[in-house]
Amino acid sequence: MPAIPLKSFGNTGVKISALGMGGHHLGSASDEKTAMQIVKEAIDGGITFFDNCWEYHRGKAENWMGKALKGSRDQIFLMTKVCTHGRDGSLALQMLHESLNRLQTDHLDLWQIHGVTFDNDPELFIRKGGAAEALEKAKKDGKVRFVGFTGHKDPAIHLKMIETGFPFDSVQMPLNPFDANFHSFEKLVLPELQKRGIAALGMKPLTGKAEPLQKNILTVKEMLRYAMSLPVATTITGMEKLDVLRQNLKIAQEFEPLPAAEMEALRTRCQKLAADGRFEHYKVSLQFDNPEARLAHHFPIDPEQMEVKEMLKEATNTGKPYPELPT
Amino acid sequence: MKPSSLETTDATGLGRRKFLKGAALAGAATIGAATAAVARVEGVEKQEAVKGAPIPQKELGNTGVKVSALGLGGFHLGVPRDAKETDQIVGEALDAGVNFFDNAWEYHKGESEMRLGAALKGKRDEVILMTKVCTHGRGRNVAMGMLEDSLRRLQTDHLDVWQIHEVVYFNDPDLIFAPGGAAEALAEAKKQGKVRWIGFTGHKDPAIHLKMLESGFPFDTVQMPLNCCDGTFRSFEKQVLPVALQRGIAVLGMKSLGGSGELVTSGTITPAEGLRYAMSLPVATTISGIDSLDVLHQNLEIARGFQPMKEDEMEALREKVRSVAADGRYEKFKTTKFYDGDVGREQHGYPSAKALPL
Repeated sequence: MPAIPLKSFGNTGVKISALGMGGHHLGSASDEKTAMQIVKEAIDGGITFFDNCWEYHRGKAENWMGKALKGSRDQIFLMTKVCTHGRDGSLALQMLHESLNRLQTDHLDLWQIHGVTFDNDPELFIRKGGAAEALEKAKKDGKVRFVGFTGHKDPAIHLKMIETGFPFDSVQMPLNPFDANFHSFEKLVLPELQKRGIAALGMKPLTGKAEPLQKNILTVKEMLRYAMSLPVATTITGMEKLDVLRQNLKIAQEFEPLPAAEMEALRTRCQKLAADGRFEHYKVSLQFDNPEARLAHHFPIDPEQMEVKEMLKEATNTGKPYPELPT
Repeated sequence: MKPSSLETTDATGLGRRKFLKGAALAGAATIGAATAAVARVEGVEKQEAVKGAPIPQKELGNTGVKVSALGLGGFHLGVPRDAKETDQIVGEALDAGVNFFDNAWEYHKGESEMRLGAALKGKRDEVILMTKVCTHGRGRNVAMGMLEDSLRRLQTDHLDVWQIHEVVYFNDPDLIFAPGGAAEALAEAKKQGKVRWIGFTGHKDPAIHLKMLESGFPFDTVQMPLNCCDGTFRSFEKQVLPVALQRGIAVLGMKSLGGSGELVTSGTITPAEGLRYAMSLPVATTISGIDSLDVLHQNLEIARGFQPMKEDEMEALREKVRSVAADGRYEKFKTTKFYDGDVGREQHGYPSAKALPL
C-alpha cells in the first residue's frame, strides 16, 4: 500500500503525516468499537498525526483515542488542546492532567491552546497567571514536547497571538478555498508562520460541515488536495465513519500537490460564494464555539447545540463556567 | 418586481419576529432595573433633566433640518400587543418633542410601518420620517417595489430619509453598487422626489461601513451602533463617525444599550449612562427602541433638557466597561448572528434564525 507523504513539523526535525485525524469526529463515531477500528485503519493507512481536545464530547473523544492507541502510542504524534478560554494557567495544568489520564500516556507530542476566538483572548493568554505560563511549565516538565494554539475565528486574533512573542511551535487554523477569499488565514497568517519557522496545521479543509460538497460546488478530492497543497505540516480532518476514512486515506496516499494554476482556479470558483462567509460559519457565528469558551466569555449558549446537551447531561456539571476538576 | 416575490421574502421575516421574542423579554426585564436606575441617577448625579424641558434638537447633517436628539426606533413599535399602545407611545413621544421616526420595510412583516403610519395620521408633516429598504444584495427593481410598499403602509407620498437596511455582509457594498443594484434605486427615488435624503444602516463591522463610504456615493445619512462599549471593540465611534462627519453626512446612532438592553440587564451601566453617552457623541439623533410607555417615560426623562457629558465623563464610562467590552459580549450584533434578520440571511444563503440563532 502506498504511504501518506510525511512532512516536516516546522523547524523541529520531526515529521508527521500530511493527513491528520481530527479528534472531535472520532468522538462522533457510532460506537466505541467503530472508533477503535477507525484509529487502527488510520494507523495502518499511514496517518501518524492525531488531534484531540480536552472539551470534545466531555472527554469521550480523548478516552476513546487513548484506548485505541494502546500499544501504538510511540508510533504516532499525539496532540490535544487545553480549554482555558482566557482563564488561569493553573486550570490549564489541571486539564493537562485529565487529558494525559484519558489518553493513557505520560506525555503529549503537542499541546495547544484551544479555540482562540475572542478579540481579548491573546491578552488573557499572555497575562500574568494566564495559560502561557502553563504551556511553559508543561514543556519544562517534559509533559509536552511542543506547544501551540488553534482558532477558527479571525486572522487578526491569530496575528495578535503571534505578536505576543510567545515561542509557539505550531499554529492551527482553517484552510480551504473559501478561506482564501474571506477573512483569509491563508493570506494573512500562513506567510507569518513560514517566516518564523512555526509549523502550520490546517483544519476544516471541507469548511467544517462539508456544505460545499453537499451543494456540489467542489469535490472532497479537490478540497482536500487544495488544503494539503498549502505550505502546512498536516491537514486535520474529521472522519467519524470508516468509509470516510477509507476515501480520505486513498486521496492522501495518492496525493500530489496541485499546480499553482489549479489552486487559483479553485479559489476563483468559490469566490462569489465565499464573499459573505456563508460556508464559513465558524468565522461569522457562534456555531463552532464550544460552550466552555462561550461561558468563560459570558456569551450565550445554544440549548440545541450537541455540546450543550452533553454538558447539561453531565451529572457533575455544577452550572459554573467550567466543571470542577480533580486536583 | 412581482408582488409574489416580495411576499415570499416577506414571509421569512416571520422567523425573526418569533425569534426576537426572547429579545422582547429581555427588554421587559430592563424596565424594572431601568426605572430604579433613573431614580438613582437623579438622586446621585442630580441629572440636568428637567420635567417639561424640551428635548434638544440637532442638525441632520447638511440637510438644513433639525431632528430631536432622541429618535423613536421602529422595530419596537411592532412589539406591543396592540396598535393602541403603539399609538400612545407615538403620541406621547410627539408631545414630548420627538420628531425623528425610524422604521424598516421588514420589521414585523410590515406591521411596524402600518402602526406608525396610522399613529402619525395628521401629524406626518411635523416629523422626519425614515424607513429602510431590505434588498440585502438584490437590485434596484426590488428596492423600488419595497418603497411603494413602505409609502402605502406609512400613509404618505414621500419619505424624509430612505436607507438601505442591514448592510452586514462583507460583500454587501459590492452588491449594492453593482450595475442595477440598490444604490441606483436610492438615486432614482431621490430624483423623483419620493424621498428627500438617502443613507444606509448596519450593525456588524466598521470595515463594511467604510467600504460603503469609500464608494463616494452621495449619502446624506449613515446609521450605526454607538454605545459606551463600542469605543473599545470594533469601533464605529473611532473608525466611521469621523469619516462621516468630515463629509457632512448625518450620523444616526443606535443600540445605545446593547441592542436589547444587555448593557443594563447585565448590571454594567444604567439606562441614563448608556443613553447619555450615545447622545453626547456628535450625532444627529440616537434612535432608541421603545416598546412600552414605561420605557418611553424613562427615556424621555433622560432626553428632556439633555446636556452632553463632558469628555472626561465619557472616558470614565468607557474605562469602566472596558473589560466586558473587549470580547463583544454585550454587542452581540457585532459578534453573533442574533441580530441578523431572516430576509437578509435568505438572500445571502445563510440558515434561518431558527437554524442558526447565534
